[in-house]
Amino acid sequence: MTTITWLLILHALVGVALLGAITHQAVSLLRRRVVHTGSFLDRYRSVNHRTFTAAVIALYVTQVILGAVIYPAYRLNVRIPFEEMALGWAIGIFELKEHFAGIGLSVLPFYAYTWSGDPAAAPSRDRLAICLILAVIVWLDFLVGHILNNIRGLA
Amino acid sequence: MKRPWFASGPFLIVFSCAYSVAFAMNWPLFIYYPLHGNFFWGARMRTGLGPAMVWYGLMASAALAALVAAVLIPESVVQRVLKGYLWVFPLGAMLVCLYLLRHLLFA
Repeated sequence: MTTITWLLILHALVGVALLGAITHQAVSLLRRRVVHTGSFLDRYRSVNHRTFTAAVIALYVTQVILGAVIYPAYRLNVRIPFEEMALGWAIGIFELKEHFAGIGLSVLPFYAYTWSGDPAAAPSRDRLAICLILAVIVWLDFLVGHILNNIRGLA
Repeated sequence: MKRPWFASGPFLIVFSCAYSVAFAMNWPLFIYYPLHGNFFWGARMRTGLGPAMVWYGLMASAALAALVAAVLIPESVVQRVLKGYLWVFPLGAMLVCLYLLRHLLFA
């Protein structure tokens, strides 16, 4: 296997971890009931927000760096065949993925700022919305990456 | 108290706006040609170098503008005017990207 293949696998694994962390935090923000029933969802929403925020930032930055390293291989070995196969929609959703990933990267400092206050306080509109925007970006990018890799992988 | 040198609110606003404009107007700071690993400043496309990549350059353009804003504009100014509505900017930038890619996505 080539280095790019290993990096793509690592990219996918970091993506899974990031997906888990941001979904965990988003569900926790959306479901802030204090009644503890011991159900799976109640346990799922119990997160340490400071730890999760740091983990999401570290994973997101790692993920974008990995994506940026792999990107030239995609441009040369995957996008050109997509163009030859007239798969304009596949090129389009990849472009959407890259632009959203970039915008998500720019959100991270403010995301950290929204969690710098008291995490136990009621979620502000910015805190909730920014977390949900990040969650949407991470989910979309993960699914798009998976679909495109199914059409044509890098190796 | 000394204010932090970096303000995340202004960074978010200016990055979102600058990225949308840079993408719409095709203003990358540089273009990368991965076939031979060439970098060129500006948005002018070169021929004979293989496929071009503008994403790194678009990110650099927007980040540069946003960094200047983050250093010059205090967080308190943005929070006083736009508290609770800063999320509109990245969402707007995402919608601009979706609109600009409509010819590929909905062809």
